Amino acid sequence: MSQNIIVKVEDLTMAYNEKPVLWDNDVDIVENSRTAIIGPNGAGKSTLVKGILGLQKTLSGYVEVMGQPVKQVQKKIAYIPQSNSVNWDFPTTALDVVLMGRYVHLGWIKRPRKKDLEKAEQALQKIGMQDYKNRQISQLSGGQRQRVFIARAIAQDAEIYFMDEPLAGVDKNTEKVIIDFLKKSQSQGKTSIVIHHDLNTLAEYFDHLVILNKKIIDQGPMQTTLTKENLAQANLGGWLR
Amino acid sequence: MDLSILTSYTFLVVCFGTMILASVAGMIGAVTVLKGQSLIGDAIGHSSYPGVIIAFMIGMALDPVLLLIGATLSGTLAFVLVQFIDVNSKLNLDAILATVLSAFFGLGMVLKSYIQGHPIYVKVPQGGLQNYIFGQAAFIRLVDVQLIFVVAIPSIFLLILFYKEFKLFVFDEIYAKSIGLSPSMMYIIMVLMIMGVIATGLKFVGAILISSFLIVPAITAMQWSNRFNRVLLIAAGVGSFSSFIGTYLSSVYAGMSTGPSIILAMSCIAFLSMIIGPHGLIASKIRRREFLADN
Repeated sequence: MSQNIIVKVEDLTMAYNEKPVLWDNDVDIVENSRTAIIGPNGAGKSTLVKGILGLQKTLSGYVEVMGQPVKQVQKKIAYIPQSNSVNWDFPTTALDVVLMGRYVHLGWIKRPRKKDLEKAEQALQKIGMQDYKNRQISQLSGGQRQRVFIARAIAQDAEIYFMDEPLAGVDKNTEKVIIDFLKKSQSQGKTSIVIHHDLNTLAEYFDHLVILNKKIIDQGPMQTTLTKENLAQANLGGWLR
Repeated sequence: MDLSILTSYTFLVVCFGTMILASVAGMIGAVTVLKGQSLIGDAIGHSSYPGVIIAFMIGMALDPVLLLIGATLSGTLAFVLVQFIDVNSKLNLDAILATVLSAFFGLGMVLKSYIQGHPIYVKVPQGGLQNYIFGQAAFIRLVDVQLIFVVAIPSIFLLILFYKEFKLFVFDEIYAKSIGLSPSMMYIIMVLMIMGVIATGLKFVGAILISSFLIVPAITAMQWSNRFNRVLLIAAGVGSFSSFIGTYLSSVYAGMSTGPSIILAMSCIAFLSMIIGPHGLIASKIRRREFLADN
């Protein structure tokens, strides 16, 4: 079985305030997979994703995305941060936030054109948010905010999605919309890497798994990786019903 | 009401200067306030004062350009110090800002009282130094207004040019970084613009109150619009209108400092807006009631 590796991480070590958070991690993400990253609180899940994307300083290690350094393929990678990482009181509309997904294609100084606006509107439509396009973002619910973030990633026309807990604090309907989106993206050849916290939905939503607790405990296809031993080793044993 | 003052040369020069300064400060201030960094301006403002005095002590003259350079250098030094402490300690940023700004401003006050009556400086007129604390329209010269232009025009130019980048930087810094837009670079541009506004505005408004030029128009504008571009424009408008009112009052009534008069006008508009603005208290109360009735 030969599967292409789309994200390759070697010997990644990262620290926060001189305290090591991740030690010497090797990660391989399979192309066209829906990969979940799980681990207990403080396991370094967000840190790992930020390290891969070059958003946080790494002490050592090597990262390659689509066979190139991350900086070369930024257009192809859409990062969806935790939705509480931004100021939702910022004076702007849902459509305007989605339009930010086009910025990477515009480069410095240039303003979005009509074509970009159309892409942004289509992205909102794909995620069922077209009725909210002119809504001030502070007036959106948690689920709607998450959908706006996903729409921004759609507007970016990326090949790989990195999502930091997209299902945290969202309603059931939004959860379904997001998972449907991940499955549809997969059928279009795209890859998703998602930090997830609900072990009960893991096997249903994803097909590949990375288990992390400061070190990689195990990684691979869901069936062979989601084992009681692995979860116990990651201090996640008690979580599974 | 004395309207003849409106056509006097001095009034026009000062009024024009403060209006331009306040509109630029309003726009840059809106960026810093939305970024949650409103106290940076306060710290740099206070910290620029000792630079003014030291520049005077070195140059032995009230040369506006020299004093401006002094103000910029000491404001920059304070900013670098704040960043250094922030990175290397576990203290909260607001505590660091408060400590640095009071230390610098205290140094300025001590130096000022030291040179008063000191034999070396007694021959040089120092009355103007007082104006760098509260601002005084009567001491404004054309060169001071020209200096404002030197700073204001490039600042507006940068804001328009990098409008989209500023928006993303303020709203979602981490996403900005993920698409290759360096937040540190945006931060540096932002601080440079703040520095420029403060250095050229000191003589008009004074070290203590200059930061209100950055903050008050911004929070006023946020009561009136929820679009970033409109917030910037309204902030500019509020700033320049208040400057007109304040400069008029301080020109008509002898002894009224320019800075405090402008800030007073600004604050009145701000409080009024917080109450009656479409995003102010009353409107929010009504919206909440409607929301509860609907659900």
